[in-house]
Amino acid sequence: MRFWLKKVLWRHVVGIVVAAFALFPLVWMISAAFDVTGQISTQQLIPVHKGLDNFVQLFSNKEKPFGIWSKNSLIIAISAAGMQVIIGALAAYSLSRHRFKGRKLTLTTILIVQMFPQLLAATTLFLIINTFGRSFAILGLGHQLPLILVFGGSALGVNTWMLKSFFDTLPTEIDEAAKIDGAGHFEIFRKIIIPLATPIFVVTFLLSFIGIINEYLITSVILGLDGKNMTVAVGLQQFIYGQYGKNWGPFTAGALLATIPVMTLFIFLQKHLVSGLVSGSTKG
Amino acid sequence: MNIKAVSKGSKYLFAFGFILILLVMGTKLYQDKAWFLAIFFYVSAALIFYTYSISKSTPAKYLLPGVLLLTLFHIYPAFYSGAVAFTNDSNGHQLTKDQAIAAIVQDSKIPIATQEPVKYQTLIEEGSKKVFVLFKYESENYWLSDGNAIRSVSPDPRSVLVDGTVVKVGGFTILSPDQTQAQIAVLQNLVINLDSGISFQPQDLETLEVSQPAFMYNEAKDELINTLSGESYEPNDNGQMVSKSGEVLYPGWKANIGWRNFSSIITDKEIRRPLLAVLVWTFANAFLLVLISFLMGLVLALIFNFPALRSKRFYRTIFIIPMAIPSVLSLLVWSGLFTAETGVIDRLFHISIPWLTHPWWARVAVLIVELWITFPYMFLITTGAIQAIPGEILEAAAIDGASPAKSFTQIKLPLVVRTVAPLLVASVAMALNNFGAIYLLTGGGPTFSNSNGNAGATDILISYTYKLAFNSQEGNNYGLASALSILNFLIVGLISIYGLKKMKTMEGIN
Repeated sequence: MRFWLKKVLWRHVVGIVVAAFALFPLVWMISAAFDVTGQISTQQLIPVHKGLDNFVQLFSNKEKPFGIWSKNSLIIAISAAGMQVIIGALAAYSLSRHRFKGRKLTLTTILIVQMFPQLLAATTLFLIINTFGRSFAILGLGHQLPLILVFGGSALGVNTWMLKSFFDTLPTEIDEAAKIDGAGHFEIFRKIIIPLATPIFVVTFLLSFIGIINEYLITSVILGLDGKNMTVAVGLQQFIYGQYGKNWGPFTAGALLATIPVMTLFIFLQKHLVSGLVSGSTKG
Repeated sequence: MNIKAVSKGSKYLFAFGFILILLVMGTKLYQDKAWFLAIFFYVSAALIFYTYSISKSTPAKYLLPGVLLLTLFHIYPAFYSGAVAFTNDSNGHQLTKDQAIAAIVQDSKIPIATQEPVKYQTLIEEGSKKVFVLFKYESENYWLSDGNAIRSVSPDPRSVLVDGTVVKVGGFTILSPDQTQAQIAVLQNLVINLDSGISFQPQDLETLEVSQPAFMYNEAKDELINTLSGESYEPNDNGQMVSKSGEVLYPGWKANIGWRNFSSIITDKEIRRPLLAVLVWTFANAFLLVLISFLMGLVLALIFNFPALRSKRFYRTIFIIPMAIPSVLSLLVWSGLFTAETGVIDRLFHISIPWLTHPWWARVAVLIVELWITFPYMFLITTGAIQAIPGEILEAAAIDGASPAKSFTQIKLPLVVRTVAPLLVASVAMALNNFGAIYLLTGGGPTFSNSNGNAGATDILISYTYKLAFNSQEGNNYGLASALSILNFLIVGLISIYGLKKMKTMEGIN
């Protein structure tokens, strides 16, 4: 007992304090979402006027259709994240396994290009997509396809580095064995690398997915101001930055609804995520 | 049939189909005068064809799709934005030179007094139902125009009355005064321009006001002349027309100004002073954030790496929740929590701190929130690093009589730091460009009083640049913003390269 008190209790105390810090905004988000008065400023922890009004408001607003936003976010995020993982995995496989002349240059270029924040090139991206739109309506402003392609442009970035680091940990003897058995490079990729790398693919997909759900700058530039086209990240901000003052009620309700699936996914795949990040740290 | 052959055949079909689509799209883009994109599509089609059928290079087959997308949506925009840095592209300088001069000329119209009022008649074109105006001015023929196109017509002399009124024009219906009244809304907005620059506008239901631009552009001498005052205006090197006495005409145009955006960063006090403050905070914010969050993560990792603590996984799950909430949402919630006095934080702790309106408290608030977002990541990587330390080393140290403190400072700490160093460098690079945390929380504010209304106490370079380009108080200045983007890129790039190099040498020290 003495042992426990001396060595363990204080750790629990620290843990609880830090946990309170970590959960702080989440707790208030839940509180404000169920508070009918919709004010996060004068929020009480247990709302005086509880109710589901905010949620109802969220789904019945014609100009701010949360349901449609969610659908948009999902379509864009899943497609773009999938694209990023596939392109990144292909590139990472080659960068890991093949030794070729421009290899180091490619790796350095990928690193350096990522340092120019895409958001500052927003006007150029706007011009490009606008030009596309004049020739092909489906590739123009206000559509999802060009946005997904723009995100695809970031595929060769941090993702690729992470995947490459992981591939580097897979011993090349496996490749050699397969080659002796007559497998071509793509077959090795399909039959050996992919099954082994599934956890890291999941992690990469998850991180890309969350990143794209989160993205609101380039999304708003390309999708425009029409409420029906917005994603959750862009749309929910309308409640805060709109002309009628800050409407925390529906905002926190929507934020809660958007957070729950993402957070569940995160916690569910926690094991893979942690091992992915941790292996990233030990391998550099 | 051989499955392998079928799949190979269909692969070829798919590839060729794709190349064909790219070529067709490229052609349409060419027809629509989208030169760069058309060329890009053609080149992409050619590269795809070459890489997947002729070339022996295997890596290229894996890298090409990513590289093409990277080029179009990352590299090209970066270069294009960079090029803008050498222009004066901003509000008031967005037209081409020709457009700007045409606009100045158009806006300078003054009425001409005519001996007799110029009468007109209103017509409706049969079929299109468009409203046209018919009148006579300094010519034997009549002018017929709907405000867009104008042509000269000579009606049949038998359908022209003595006073010049025309009673019949083929393909048109001539309106009576009552019918003309009905078209008043359209007539009010009608402006008819002759090539000579003279323009006409209905001033009532029967007569036109004739005006002529006061300015005339002499293309050969590249100067504008004010026909009234005789003043002449010539282009300066900032995309504007100025007179000898310094009078500037608006609008200006987009002009190449070379390195002036960059030099103004140093020479122009209005730009230099806020920029310096922003730069200092950019670095301070990034380094403080990484340092504090790393220490916090490390301490927590050490505390919770204790074997006897069985609820490790529980705490770890809770600790990573900040990472699990989409930052867009959590940042906005935090901004609400930090509201002064009535905000949750002030009421909960019974304090009254003007978090978002006082420069230094705003900075503290920003650091707190950034810490909240970052510490889980630091916790995870330091935990991983600690767990990766081979147990034998620690046992050996214990046997040698090292105290826990010594074991920490001389073995654990250096090993952990060396392992996570590359990630810390990456974190610093990301923190330097941490747009969301600043913009969503404080908008970069509170704004400095001595700046041009754009820079604030919590602004980092990227948020300041963004505001200059898209949200400026003094008119968006894309040229200057692009110059700052290049500066931003250089700073982040150099720090990252320096950090990586330093680590390469650290790796050597084993």
